[in-house]
Amino acid sequence: MSAARGNAVAAASEDAPDEASDDPRQMTSVRAIVLAVVAALLACVVGVLAGSSGFGVASPDIMTSIRVPRVLAGFGAGAALALSGALMQLLTRNALADPYVLGVAGGAAVGALGAMMVGAATGVQLSEWGVAAGAALGAAAASALLFGLLWRRLASTATSSGGDGAAALLLVGVMIGSGCSALVALILTLADEGQLRGMVFWLLGDLNGATHWEIVWIALAVALAVVWPTARELDWLARGDAWAATLGVPVGRRRRVVLLAAALATGAAVATAGAIGFVGLVVPHALRRLGVRAAPLLLPASAIAGGAFVVAVDAVARTIVAPLQVPVGVLAAAIGVPAFIAMLLARPERGR
Amino acid sequence: MSDASAVPEADVERRLDAGAVVLEASALSLRAGGSARNRLLFDGLDLRVAAGQRWVVVGPNGAGKSSLLAALAGVFPIAGGSVRIDGVELADWAPSALAERRAWSPQFWSDPFPATVRETAALAHRRDAGWRAVLDRRSDPEVERVLGRLLLADLADSDVQTLSGGERQRVALATALLQDAPLLLLDEPASHLDLAHERLLVELLLAHAEGGGTVVASLHDLDLAWDLASHVVLIDGSGGVCAGAREEVLVADRLAATFGVAIHAIEVQGARRFVVGASRTPHGVR
Repeated sequence: MSAARGNAVAAASEDAPDEASDDPRQMTSVRAIVLAVVAALLACVVGVLAGSSGFGVASPDIMTSIRVPRVLAGFGAGAALALSGALMQLLTRNALADPYVLGVAGGAAVGALGAMMVGAATGVQLSEWGVAAGAALGAAAASALLFGLLWRRLASTATSSGGDGAAALLLVGVMIGSGCSALVALILTLADEGQLRGMVFWLLGDLNGATHWEIVWIALAVALAVVWPTARELDWLARGDAWAATLGVPVGRRRRVVLLAAALATGAAVATAGAIGFVGLVVPHALRRLGVRAAPLLLPASAIAGGAFVVAVDAVARTIVAPLQVPVGVLAAAIGVPAFIAMLLARPERGR
Repeated sequence: MSDASAVPEADVERRLDAGAVVLEASALSLRAGGSARNRLLFDGLDLRVAAGQRWVVVGPNGAGKSSLLAALAGVFPIAGGSVRIDGVELADWAPSALAERRAWSPQFWSDPFPATVRETAALAHRRDAGWRAVLDRRSDPEVERVLGRLLLADLADSDVQTLSGGERQRVALATALLQDAPLLLLDEPASHLDLAHERLLVELLLAHAEGGGTVVASLHDLDLAWDLASHVVLIDGSGGVCAGAREEVLVADRLAATFGVAIHAIEVQGARRFVVGASRTPHGVR
């Protein structure tokens, strides 16, 4: 499945150079979005058909209670992470930013692992709801800390480009993330052997047993609905706070709303599927290389492609060494890293 | 600064002066960084900029040229006085309505992500069309026309991140022009431009003013300033500022005192040229 998507990506980048001569960005960006939608549908079909019990239509019970919810959860989580990654890159003007620079995912990890540990200590058998609730709580706490520290800085408009607020956002987010990493390490040290495996799997990003897809879809829909209508302003903000302000962008309010949407999407995704890495960083980046640059296109395209990517990778993850299941985060990196490096090296020539 | 009588273009100036006042500053004072704790950049600047005029801001590094342009655009805190555009205080404008009236082009641009020259030039074009403007940008003849005038047509599909400094500067001008605002506030629009493109810039801005637009731009090249300007603001870098017709402000003595170098003014084919000497002894014009 991921091979099919890989081919689609390769085909699009081969098209790009000769397109550029007479019919440049409009067609390539529309084509890339069509490709992403087709890949998403394909990924979902394969995702529903692929199972640890073999490829094909399983019993109606397995389909409705395991496979379909898992595909929906994976798609929602991937879409939310990729959307959040695109938002964070625009907000920080940094192509290396991802959902995790916020520190929100770190908070979610502390919450989830903390819930597991408390569950073990008190002898309560935690459902995946309990872990997800812990993750959501942790994400909310980290977001509250982030906003508390940054609220006023977010409104500051540097007169030159470069921007005060963007740099402060990166630094504070990274600091919160580092603090959370230390707490996670502490919890892992204190946890007993039986707990460790589940915790490590959670940290790697794992869709196993992820059947609650509703929350991440609601978060995704809310985040998209909040940021998309003013998406063009994000392109202006990325060129400079003051310049965006001269175009009528309410800089502080816009940044806060976008940050809130990104935190919501990240928190919901991580609570649903664990800390799946790579998607949030790479999907927006890959789409830009395919010609999808303007935020009004990039944001929905990132969501679609991110969802397709996670569903496809997850389909491979649970069939490649069946009946064992590889954590989706591990396979995402294993497939994504070489594909992404290849794309970076095939940088298109200057168009003249 | 009152003897501008012998200027051949006086008639032209009078005609242009008849245009409506689009930009006014009264008793404007600015502090470095916009902060009350910092040093005063200048104090008590009065400006009345009418449609059709070209105002050039000159002065030493750090004198406050960029701060003045940003303050006129409404994105730099003013320490005192007021700025009005079309007779309305900046604070009373709806921000998106103000974007219809004036375009501000900063000295530095950030290009954090790949984007074509065409995409970058059209960033602020058709702002009310939202995402639809992003989709059918290709078919917009206005964008192609401006790219053509700035000699950027061949580069339209290039990535802005691969451009030279002068090419990027022309894209910035295209972005400002495509905002479709009559009042252009341009921070060093000639930096990195070669001689031919400097001339192109002056021609374009003169044409913009002739078509009823207004230009306020900071420049370092005094000859270029003379050719573009109808009026000049000279910020001296030690708290002083003067504004007026170019013949009154671009005077060798005054410039020499401001910049601390010897400057001779000579007449070449009816235009005043400024020759910078090695000595610090200032010489008057003629």
